[in-house]
Amino acid sequence: MSKPIQAINRYKADLRDFQFLLFEQFKVGELLGKGVFEAWDAEQVNVSLAECYRWTREVAGPLNAPADAEGCKLVDGRVITPKGFKEAWKSLYEAGWKSIGIAPEHGGAGSPVSVQILVEEMLSGANTAFNMYSGLAFGASEVIASFGTTDQQHLYCARMFGGEWGGTMCLTEPHAGSDVGSAKTTARLNADGTYSIKGTKIYISGGDHDLASNVIHLVLARVDGAPAGTKGLTLFIVPRVRTSGDGTLGADNDVTVAALEHKMGINGSATCVLNFGDNDACIGVPVGGDSELNKGMPQMFKMMNGARIAVGVQGIGVASSAYLNALEYARDRKQGASITHWKDATAPRVSIIEHADVRRMLLDMKSRVEGIRALVVKLTSHIDRLTFAKDDAEAAYHQGQVDLLVPLVKAYGTDQAFRVCETAIQTYGGAGYTRDYPVEQYCRDCKIFSIYEGTNHIQAMDLVGRKLGQAGGANLQAFLGDIAKFVAAHKDHAKLGASVRALGGAQEALGGSALKLLMWFQTGNMAAVPLYATRFLEMMSEIAVAWMLLDAAIIADTKLQTVEPGHPDKAFYEGKLFSAMYYARSVLPAAELKARQMNDEDKSPLEISDAAFATV
Amino acid sequence: MKILVSLKRVADPDNANKIKVTPQKIETTGLEFKPNPFDEYAVETALRLTENAANTKQRLGEVTVVTFGPKEAESTLRAALATGADKAIRVDATDDALDGDLVARALAKLIETEKPDLVLLGKQEVEGDANQVAQLLAEYLGWPQATFAGSIKSEGDTALLVGREIDGGTMNLRVTLPAVVSVDLRIVAPRSVQSVHTKADHAYPEGVRFAALMAIMAAKKKSLTEVKLTDLTGDVGLKIKYTGFEPPPARKAGVKVKSVSELVEKLKTEAKVL
Ligand SMILES: Cc1cc2nc3c(=O)[nH]c(=O)nc-3n(C[C@H](O)[C@H](O)[C@H](O)COP(=O)(O)OP(=O)(O)OC[C@H]3O[C@@H](n4cnc5c(N)ncnc54)[C@H](O)[C@@H]3O)c2cc1C
Repeated sequence: MSKPIQAINRYKADLRDFQFLLFEQFKVGELLGKGVFEAWDAEQVNVSLAECYRWTREVAGPLNAPADAEGCKLVDGRVITPKGFKEAWKSLYEAGWKSIGIAPEHGGAGSPVSVQILVEEMLSGANTAFNMYSGLAFGASEVIASFGTTDQQHLYCARMFGGEWGGTMCLTEPHAGSDVGSAKTTARLNADGTYSIKGTKIYISGGDHDLASNVIHLVLARVDGAPAGTKGLTLFIVPRVRTSGDGTLGADNDVTVAALEHKMGINGSATCVLNFGDNDACIGVPVGGDSELNKGMPQMFKMMNGARIAVGVQGIGVASSAYLNALEYARDRKQGASITHWKDATAPRVSIIEHADVRRMLLDMKSRVEGIRALVVKLTSHIDRLTFAKDDAEAAYHQGQVDLLVPLVKAYGTDQAFRVCETAIQTYGGAGYTRDYPVEQYCRDCKIFSIYEGTNHIQAMDLVGRKLGQAGGANLQAFLGDIAKFVAAHKDHAKLGASVRALGGAQEALGGSALKLLMWFQTGNMAAVPLYATRFLEMMSEIAVAWMLLDAAIIADTKLQTVEPGHPDKAFYEGKLFSAMYYARSVLPAAELKARQMNDEDKSPLEISDAAFATV
Repeated sequence: MKILVSLKRVADPDNANKIKVTPQKIETTGLEFKPNPFDEYAVETALRLTENAANTKQRLGEVTVVTFGPKEAESTLRAALATGADKAIRVDATDDALDGDLVARALAKLIETEKPDLVLLGKQEVEGDANQVAQLLAEYLGWPQATFAGSIKSEGDTALLVGREIDGGTMNLRVTLPAVVSVDLRIVAPRSVQSVHTKADHAYPEGVRFAALMAIMAAKKKSLTEVKLTDLTGDVGLKIKYTGFEPPPARKAGVKVKSVSELVEKLKTEAKVL
């Protein structure tokens, strides 16, 4: 008989780190009680984080493994979600965690984005698959809140933000993945001003489910006669069940689930093939009305920052729990003797945390998780400071840093999340590969993050093709300038000076590599750009993360002077110093290596013939 | 119905930092605190008695939470306000200047002005496990008491039918209000509390409710007042004298016995339990 999958919570979060980022490193606390955050104080932030953590551990967390084993089912054309999801959905919206960052006019609590993003870290980390449904509903509702007509906002937003109706984003088609512009789904104007939608979308997350009474699809489609490519795409509101203006549900809207995908992970999340208008009875209206025809892509672009940050945070949520679980196991599991007794067969067995290589893996995971989380909160703190900017220049600075950092958070955050999960399995040994522990599921769930919401290479192209040159390069200049200021201020720091100087060296290399990219663009050496884009993104991310960790370590070092000896903060701050020193000395050197590779301009992957890859 | 609930914070048993004990006192530096679990059950009970489960946003009674503690203990009160309690009172005091008797006397005085119909308490706090305050308080007030409640049915809000957990079963006791009731773990089972407002067949989720985000936000606007201990009683003397503190002795390593007969022998001669 195989072992039962247990419905117990395995999710762990590091709330002390959350508080450090909010109140000590990025000082979001300064903004509370002021302006748009008038209603908030530090205690409410802390109580909210603690209560949300309790919710994730008691409701969403225990469903994670059973839902993975059970998966979704398609019964009579409707998706049945795993056991417990319905109750959890109700509980989630009663507790209100999905509305923490939503503006009060849409029924939310209007918290800083930095607080919302940490709440999202917990929701995603505890049960990625479950959080997909509410995440997509949230994203779709945000689109309508930003671009919808007043009537559309009135009809949809509160219901979708509040969990009464679900939502999806329908972009991908069989022949249109990364290349969204080749979408073939059509929209034909009807006499009453609505549109008839016809086409097939694939891989649609939460494309149908039994958690809410309706699902509102946002569908990219081409109106008859519109231009080819992305310029001719319009975003349509297509409910599963037609609704009247007051929200009463009416007839079926001819949206059918053709199939569910079998996949590597997030098995509790239904990934659907959706057919629109099989019976020519699928009706949609453009988001924002007819004035917004052919503006689907610009609308999506505006929302993309939020969605991409959210995917980066999915990564960090899972990776953080993988690390904390591996740490717990390493403290507990006894195997082998200390290396100092290597000749003595009778020496006492020690916890594996005492073995050097296990410690290396643990500190490697710790530094990546903490460093990327810090980068996320740096990004969101720029968003939170936007409304407090005293002039246009300051606002432009904050917005510029947001735009620049989004591809880093999405791509580096998710690539590293997968590696952290893999390292967590390695830390466990055989147990980590079994379903007795959560890390193998984390590793499977986590892989999708580097693929959807724009593959990580698409992120790298966004960085080098759009973001570096944005505002005439001013955003990158400001980023490099901030690091230079930090290096100048701390290069002689007693404990961290050497690492800070190493950051200075890497920052210069980054400036050089950016110039190299510019030169490739200018001299028509276009083929080199995508070949090195992914590596450039990784290099820039490593530098950003090293900076964040060193910044945290310098704060921690100051705090260490005054912390009482028995206080748990002593260990916390010491940990910050070691995260920074390890990352600066063991990971950051890879950044300069990439600069050297770019100077070398190896083009083997382009020069090798297709046939030479393999002759099978 | 007006209900007063006493609520105490206790050192979190999951504290990463081990508690340090000196002969003079127990060091609390750096400890994490959480509400005493039995007190949380009392708050949950009070909320269930003062709402219709079909619409918990509308309060149908008043729940006042009271704690004895330093300023930092206010976060425990705020958390209770966030789950739905209506107002809070902090009696300014530190643990080492309190014992069960003093708490009961001060509470009795506070109750004179607050005039609740019912006082709910956890059956004991998990640090000292003394299990005294409810009994002493009922005595000082001259009110009926029912301890270790595993179920409560409100009878028109003038009397309660209380199922007391006793060895080997349940004792059903009818108490007329005002009364003092202390609660046990089973009180937070789905159907343990029956109010006059909620449909009789309603099942609550097991345990203590979550604080909803909007209630956390609203809690800031609820009243939280501070009272001096000396305003409640002139006599702040303690009946319990602390003579010294020591950690529990470390457990001795066990011995492995080879046979059942050896075990029986040891139980007779060493453990002297047979
Ligand atoms: C579980 C899951 C959930 C999903 N949920 C949704 C959803 O809710 N809504 C939705 O619309 N879609 C969803 N998707 C689809 C997802 O966004 C796409 O899979 C993704 O955009 C990649 O497209 P593709 O799979 O067609 O891969 P392709 O675009 O075929 O890419 C294959 C490879 O080629 C690379 N590549 C492609 N184009 C280029 C280029 N121009 N230059 C360089 N390299 C390139 C890619 O980086 C990738 O490595 C989901 C997918 C999965 C697996």
